[in-house]
Amino acid sequence: MIEFLSFLKDPNLQYVLWGCILLSFSAGLIGCFAYLQKKALIGDAISHSVLPGVAIAFMLIEVKSLPVLLTGAFVSGIISQYLVVKLSEHPKISKDTAIGFVLTFFFGIGIVLLTFIQQSGHAGQSGLEDFIFGKAATLVQKDINLFIALSVIIIIVVLLMKKEFTIVSFDEDFAHTSGMNVSMINKVMTGLYVMAIVSGIQAVGVVLMSALVITPAAAGRFWTNNINKLLIISSLIAGLGGGIGVLISYSAPQMPTGPWVVVVLSVIALISFLIAPQTGIISKWFNQRKNKQKIHNENILKLLYKICEKRGNVQCSIDKNEAADRYSLSKKEFFNKLNRLNKKGYLEYQINNQIQLTKKGVDEGQRIVRLHRLWEAYLATYLNIAPDHVHDDAEAIEHVLTPELEAKLDRLLDYPEADPHKAKIPRKKKI
Amino acid sequence: MTKTAVEIHDLVVAYNRKPVLWNIDAHLPAGKIIGIIGPNGAGKSTLIKAMMGLLKPASGKILFFDNPLDEVRERVAYVPQRESVDWQFPVTVFDVVLMGRYKKVGLFKNPGKSDKEKAKQALEKVDMYQFRDRQISQLSGGQQQRVFIARALIQDADIYLMDEPFAGVDASTEKAILKLMKEMGEQGKTVIVVHHDLQTVMDFFDWVMMLNQRLVACGKTQDVFIEKNLNDTYGGKLTLLNEVGQILSKNQMPQREK
Ligand SMILES: Nc1ncnc2c1ncn2[C@@H]1O[C@H](COP(=O)(O)OP(=O)(O)OP(=O)(O)O)[C@@H](O)[C@H]1O
Ligand SMILES: [Mg+2]
Repeated sequence: MIEFLSFLKDPNLQYVLWGCILLSFSAGLIGCFAYLQKKALIGDAISHSVLPGVAIAFMLIEVKSLPVLLTGAFVSGIISQYLVVKLSEHPKISKDTAIGFVLTFFFGIGIVLLTFIQQSGHAGQSGLEDFIFGKAATLVQKDINLFIALSVIIIIVVLLMKKEFTIVSFDEDFAHTSGMNVSMINKVMTGLYVMAIVSGIQAVGVVLMSALVITPAAAGRFWTNNINKLLIISSLIAGLGGGIGVLISYSAPQMPTGPWVVVVLSVIALISFLIAPQTGIISKWFNQRKNKQKIHNENILKLLYKICEKRGNVQCSIDKNEAADRYSLSKKEFFNKLNRLNKKGYLEYQINNQIQLTKKGVDEGQRIVRLHRLWEAYLATYLNIAPDHVHDDAEAIEHVLTPELEAKLDRLLDYPEADPHKAKIPRKKKI
Repeated sequence: MTKTAVEIHDLVVAYNRKPVLWNIDAHLPAGKIIGIIGPNGAGKSTLIKAMMGLLKPASGKILFFDNPLDEVRERVAYVPQRESVDWQFPVTVFDVVLMGRYKKVGLFKNPGKSDKEKAKQALEKVDMYQFRDRQISQLSGGQQQRVFIARALIQDADIYLMDEPFAGVDASTEKAILKLMKEMGEQGKTVIVVHHDLQTVMDFFDWVMMLNQRLVACGKTQDVFIEKNLNDTYGGKLTLLNEVGQILSKNQMPQREK
């Protein structure tokens, strides 16, 4: 392992690594807006369409000068976007069709041209095919400076125009009617997409570069509902994916970088899908479990309270087998739950299998009974539901009513004494 | 005689050369609450969009206070149909309302204190201030509508165009929106509203525009909201008009000789 990472000490590699992280970071940043505008396919269209630009630029100057090749890529990316817009203006051509057509057309031409260049036996053409799947290990310091410059431009423009990008992504029509220059804003955004993609084609490759633009935002969306946080999280995820991809490319130089970047990003997206708070399926599952637990706890306390209520002494001793018989769980499960309530200080064990609610337990049991009966009273009074139909609903609602709602209910019903079944609504004694 | 807020002159709007609005001519008075009614597909949203400059008319012109829209943009505010945006978008209620100020704030700058104060006032007017930090994905339909109205209020315009603000809102929201509109009318603002519920037209609007591909009637509610006009508006599609439209579209013919 130490050996595996020993190449990290190489300053050139460190430079390339940080450069690629920054480049990925900026791609993830602008990618948020592509994602929010639901333009995921645009990234694909641009990245595939830059290939002929690279090839033609090389044929013109016949040396592998990165700035020239990237300029070619940029021009070809912009032309492709222009074509997509123009084609989809036709009423018979949907946006999908236009994108699919332009993407395959440009990519096809790009591959034909690259093959042609290779067969011409041109000196200095070697490595051109790395643009397809990317090879970060071929980057040198000079290239990186260019990428850093592009990335910094992207980041600065996004920060300066965040407000404009947001409103156009959310409600283009409204932005237009409020007098903003929407078409200019859209052009700037497209220009930045193309720039982000162009700066990644050597490290990640044209085929998979769009993943670096879209996947981080899609993954980040699981973690936050706040656009500022989304911008940060998405950029960080992209940076992480790009960085790991570069390390793998260096440690196994025969492997292309792009696929690794995509694998890393996809794993992050998958993990986000599984564990993200609130929306992730694992946290949803935990949440459900927690809710079930809460419902059982409250129902058991309610049961114990009601048993004692009948006996006229809220802190009476109850035989735990007798209580178990009146609860929907098996004895074993029921006793488990009692243990938990005991640990939380809601009840105490006594000799001879007897249990007794603590002060805290009485309060909690009483609260649930009160909410149950208040809700029944509310349904009967305000919704005109027959008294014999209100119970089931109250069984569920008693677990979700907050203290604020309780106060509201109480006020609305003018602090009722009893529920529709004439059972007393228990309240804490005023001290 | 009140001032004219909007003048629509011989307006034709077409999608791919197929006209959906034919030769609309109308004057809408200032300081009134004006309803636009008509069956589905009558072109109500199309008319609003053309007025807001979102669609380019095939011919004709629209003037606001005798000026083309571009010269008086700041005086005209738009409340789009609720369904026109993605409510899962990761912003809060307050963020959306502030968007009404983005143009005035200007490029490269952030909304300042006075903008936020205005947003607060607008939210209070629609009774949504307590929801200011909510994600918009957690709003009910009526609340979404109020947010959109607040976003337009903050623009401080003189003419408000609203596309179906009463669609799918509960009775209390309806009442609140209506009250707000009446207040705006009293302040001399013109409120133009696409509306669907014929039952409430008499109560809601001072003036109505009845539309079905062409203008059926436009005038004071008590004068034009009568059975004959209603029959003309809702009595089935104008099949001939449609067929001519199809031909224009098919042959890519202009609707006017230039
Ligand atoms: N983007 C579009 N492209 C082509 N035709 C359209 C487009 N939008 C609307 N139309 C057509 O224009 C006509 C008028 O539509 P519009 O949306 O203005 O009707 P509306 O009166 O608002 O109806 P609704 O009550 O259903 O909202 C309809 O026949 C509709 O099919
Ligand atoms: Mg409509």
